[in-house]
Amino acid sequence: MLKFVAKRFGYGFLVILGVVHVVFFLFHALPGDPVALLAGQRADPETRANIRKELGLDQPLNQQLVHYLNDLSPISIHKDNSYVKDKYNFVSFFSIGGNYILALKTPYLRRSFQSNKRVDILILENLEGTIWLAIAAMLFATFFGILFGLIAALRQNSFLDHFFVTSSVMGISAPSFVSAILISMLFGYYLSDYTGLNLTGSLWVNDPLYGRQLHLKNIILPAITLGIRPLAIITQLTRSSMLEILQQDYIRTAKAKGLNRFVIIGKHALKNALNPVITAVSGWLASLMAGAFFIEYIFNWKGLGLKTLKAVELLDFPVVMGSTLVVAGIFVVINIFVDILYAAIDPRVRLG
Amino acid sequence: MIRKYTIDQDTILSVRNLTIEFHNQEGKITAVNNISFDLKRGQTLGIVGESGSGKSVTSMSLLQLIQSPPGKITSGEIIFNSRKFGIVDILQLSPKQMRAIRGGEISMIFQDPMSSLNPVYTCGNQVMETILHHENISRKEARKRTIELFEKVKINEPERIFSSYPHKISGGQKQRVMIAMALSCKPSILLADEPTTALDVTVQATILELLQEFRDDKDTSIIFITHDLGVVAEIAEEIMVMFRGDVVESGSVWDIFSKPTHPYTNGLLACRPRLDIKLETLPVITDFLHINSDGSIPTVVNARFKSVGEAIMKNYQSELDLREQFEELEKKEPILKVKNLCTFFPEKTDWLGRPVEFKKAVNDISFEVYPGETLGLVGESGCGKTTLGRSLLRLIEPTSGEIVFENKNLLELNSKQLGAIRKDMQIVFQDPYSSLNPRKGIGDAIIEPMKVHKVYDTEKEMNERAIELLEMVNLSGAHFNRYPHEFSGGQRQRICIARTLALQPKFLICDESVSALDVSVQAQVLNLLNNLKNKLNLTLIFISHDLAVVKFIADRILVMNKGRKEELNFAEDIYKDPQSEYTKKLINAIPRGDLDDIRKAIIKRKMIKKAKQEERKLSA
Repeated sequence: MLKFVAKRFGYGFLVILGVVHVVFFLFHALPGDPVALLAGQRADPETRANIRKELGLDQPLNQQLVHYLNDLSPISIHKDNSYVKDKYNFVSFFSIGGNYILALKTPYLRRSFQSNKRVDILILENLEGTIWLAIAAMLFATFFGILFGLIAALRQNSFLDHFFVTSSVMGISAPSFVSAILISMLFGYYLSDYTGLNLTGSLWVNDPLYGRQLHLKNIILPAITLGIRPLAIITQLTRSSMLEILQQDYIRTAKAKGLNRFVIIGKHALKNALNPVITAVSGWLASLMAGAFFIEYIFNWKGLGLKTLKAVELLDFPVVMGSTLVVAGIFVVINIFVDILYAAIDPRVRLG
Repeated sequence: MIRKYTIDQDTILSVRNLTIEFHNQEGKITAVNNISFDLKRGQTLGIVGESGSGKSVTSMSLLQLIQSPPGKITSGEIIFNSRKFGIVDILQLSPKQMRAIRGGEISMIFQDPMSSLNPVYTCGNQVMETILHHENISRKEARKRTIELFEKVKINEPERIFSSYPHKISGGQKQRVMIAMALSCKPSILLADEPTTALDVTVQATILELLQEFRDDKDTSIIFITHDLGVVAEIAEEIMVMFRGDVVESGSVWDIFSKPTHPYTNGLLACRPRLDIKLETLPVITDFLHINSDGSIPTVVNARFKSVGEAIMKNYQSELDLREQFEELEKKEPILKVKNLCTFFPEKTDWLGRPVEFKKAVNDISFEVYPGETLGLVGESGCGKTTLGRSLLRLIEPTSGEIVFENKNLLELNSKQLGAIRKDMQIVFQDPYSSLNPRKGIGDAIIEPMKVHKVYDTEKEMNERAIELLEMVNLSGAHFNRYPHEFSGGQRQRICIARTLALQPKFLICDESVSALDVSVQAQVLNLLNNLKNKLNLTLIFISHDLAVVKFIADRILVMNKGRKEELNFAEDIYKDPQSEYTKKLINAIPRGDLDDIRKAIIKRKMIKKAKQEERKLSA
C-alpha cells in the first residue's frame, strides 16, 4: 500500500516536471513581448532593456528554464546573502564552494510581471473560490446524478426513465456559457424576487460597513450551472452500470436468498455499480478545479480560471506557470486519492 | 380466495401441468410445456437435458425467479408442503411469503460459483446475510453458525474463508460457500442447477459426495439439474429427461440407464465419450431420432441406431488396431519437438520492478508430436495446459527451452518469420462466443486470415474458398453474409474451425474447443475434427480438462499437473495402466454412469436409510 502510494507520487512528480517543460516552451513560442506590455508603447529601449534584465528575460532560454526549475525545487542552490535569503526564505543546508549553498525551501513561484505580487499568494486568493465552486458543483451532480440514474434504471422504459435519458443528453450537449446565461437571467434576475438570488457575485463580498463577508447563497447558481454536465453524465453512467449489474448472477443469488428489493439494490447492486461513477466524478472534480472560465466570468465569480486567462492575455508568465502547476498538482493528488478509493470499494482491485 | 390443496404426506413438492412461455419480438416460445412431477422427502430427482430443454427454467419457476417479462407462467400449479404456510401453491403466494420461502425452505445452488457470489462482500458476510434474514438471531450467533457450516462443507480454514473475498478463493471453495449458503437455513428442497459443470472433475467428485451426505443426513430433497447423464447416475434416484420443454422420459435411475426407451435418452447416453471403449465416430442425437424443422419428433422413427449397445457395436475400434495405427505414426520423423520448455510469469517484483518470484506455469516440459497424430493434453484448471498451448505458438513468450517445428526453432525466429510459420500452425479457442467479432460477417471472418497472409490474389477466389470451407464444416455457403449472433454455440465453433483452416495449416491446437458445448453438440464437433484431420492430413494437439473427451480423440495423452509433465503415453495405456498417482486420481473422479456403479449407489443408500430407521426406533 505504502509502496503503491510512493510509486504514484513518483509518477506524479514526473508529470509535473513534464508540465513545466511544456508550458515553458509553449509560452516562449507565443508571439508578443511581455516587456512591451509592461513598460507601455512609448518606453525607450533602455528602460525596456532594464526591465528585461530585471525579469531575467535577457538570458538564453535553457538558462531561464534551469533558473525556474531551481526556484521551484524544494532543494536548490542559491547565493548566500541576506537579499537572496529574504527572497526565497530558505533554510541553508551546507556550503558547496564559492558563496553558493544548498538550501531547503518551499517552492518559489516568483512574482507577477504585472502586479509584482507573489504568485503563490495570488493563486491562493483565487483558488479558494474555484475549489468551493467545484466541490459544490460536484456534490450537487453526484447526489442527484446517482439518484436520477438509480430511478431511471429501476423504472427502465418508463416515462421517468425516458425523461431522465433525454434531459441528460440535453445537459451534455448544452454549452456552459449558454446555460450559464440562461440560468443567471432566469433565477438571478427575472425570478430574483422569489429566489432571493443575485445575478452575479462571489463567495466573499467586501462590504463597506462590515468588511469581508461570506455570501453563501451566491454559490448556488454557478454551482448548479457548473454541475449540469457532470450531473447528466453521472445519471447516464449510473443508469447503464446499474442495468448491467442487475443482470449479474450474484443478484439472482441475492434474490434466491429471499432478500427484499431494497436490500438487493441498496446493498448488492449499488456498491458494484458505483465504480465507473467514481471514475467520472474524480475526473470531473479534477477538471472543475482547473477553473470554469465562462461560468466564473458570467457570474463574476472570483476564481483561478478567470485569473489564469487574464494572465495569458498579459503574457504574465509566472502567474500562468504557477496556476498551471497548481492545477496539475491537484490532478495528480485527486487521481492518487481515487485509486485508493477504488481499492476500498472493490476488493478485486489490487494495489501494487 | 383460499383453495385447499391435497398432497401426500411423503411428498414435499408436486408440480402439475406447468407451462412457461417466453415472449419476444419474434413471437412466443414455449420453454416448458405442460409438465408434471412429484418430489418425495429425501429424494433426489435429476432433471437432464441440453441447453434450451427448459430444465433451468423449471427450477427457477419453483422460486418464482423467472424474469417477467419476457417469461410468463401461463398455467399450472406448484404445490409445496411448507413448514411455515402449510400446503400452498407457490404461484399464488404474495411476494412477502415468497421471500420467506426463498433461501429458507427452498434454496438454490447455481451453475457458476465464480459469478454467483457478490465480489464486493466477504464470503462469510454473504452466508450470514441469509441466516440473519430468515432467523431472528444475533450477528454473533450467525457468525458462529456460518463457521460451523463452513466446517460441515469441508472448507479448510473456515475462519480465513469467512473473511476472504470471493476472488481470493478457488472455484471449488466458492461452490462450497454457495452450498453452505443454500443449506444455512435447513431447506426442505435444494435446487442444484449444474452445480459442478464449471468445476474440475476431482472437485466435482467431492462436491457430489458432499451433497449426498447432506441429503442422507438431513432428509433434504434435491432437484439436480444437469446436461450430463454421467453426473446424475450416482446421486439421483429418479431421472426426468427433458427435450425442448417436454418431459420425454422419466423413471428410476436404474430403468433409465438399463433400458432407456425414448430415442433421445438413448442418444444422450451414447454421445458422451466413454473411457472404456474407443469408438471410431461418436454417435450423435440425430443418429437416434429425426427432428422436424418445427422441433417436433415424428413418431415413425427411421434412425441409424436403435439403442446405445447398437451404436457401440457398429463403431467399435479394437485396441490392437489402434496400437498398429500408432506404431505406423511413430516411424515417421516428428513434426514438432519440444525440449525443456519453460514459461514463467513474474509473481512478485522488487522495488525496481525486477521479478523475484515466478509462477511456473509450464515447467520443463519435453515431448514430440508425430505427423498425423492427435496428442491430448489433459490436466485440471491451473495446471498450465493452456499456457503450454499458447507458448507453442509464441502467443505467450516462453522463458526458455526449444520448440522445433519442421526443423526450425521457433524461439529463434524474428516476428516476420514467425508470422510465416503461423500460417502452418493455427489455434481454435475455447469460447466460440467471444472469439468471433460480433460486427463482422462470418464470411469476412474466414477471409481475414487469407488477406493477412495474401494467399489469394482476387476477392472472388477468397470468397469461393470461404464457401468451400463453410461446406467442409457442414455449414452452408448461404451463411456467408450472416453474423455470429445468428448461430448456435456448436455452429460458431465450426465457423472458428473453418477460419483456422483457411490457411491450410499442417498443425492445429484445439484449446478446450468443445468444453462450452452441450454433449450432443460436442460429439458433432469432435467427429468433425476427426474427419477433417484425416481428410486434410492435420496434426492436432487437443487440450481439455475432460479425460473422456481426450481419450476419444487422441492417440497419445500427456497428463499435466502444476506445470509439470505427469506422464505421456498411448491413450489406451493411460486409462488401463496409469503410472502416476495423479492420473489415477483423475480417472477415478470421472463419473462413468455405468450400471455397476449405479447398483452400488442404490444399495448404499438403502443401507443408510435402514440404519436411520433403526436409529429412530431405538431412540423412540
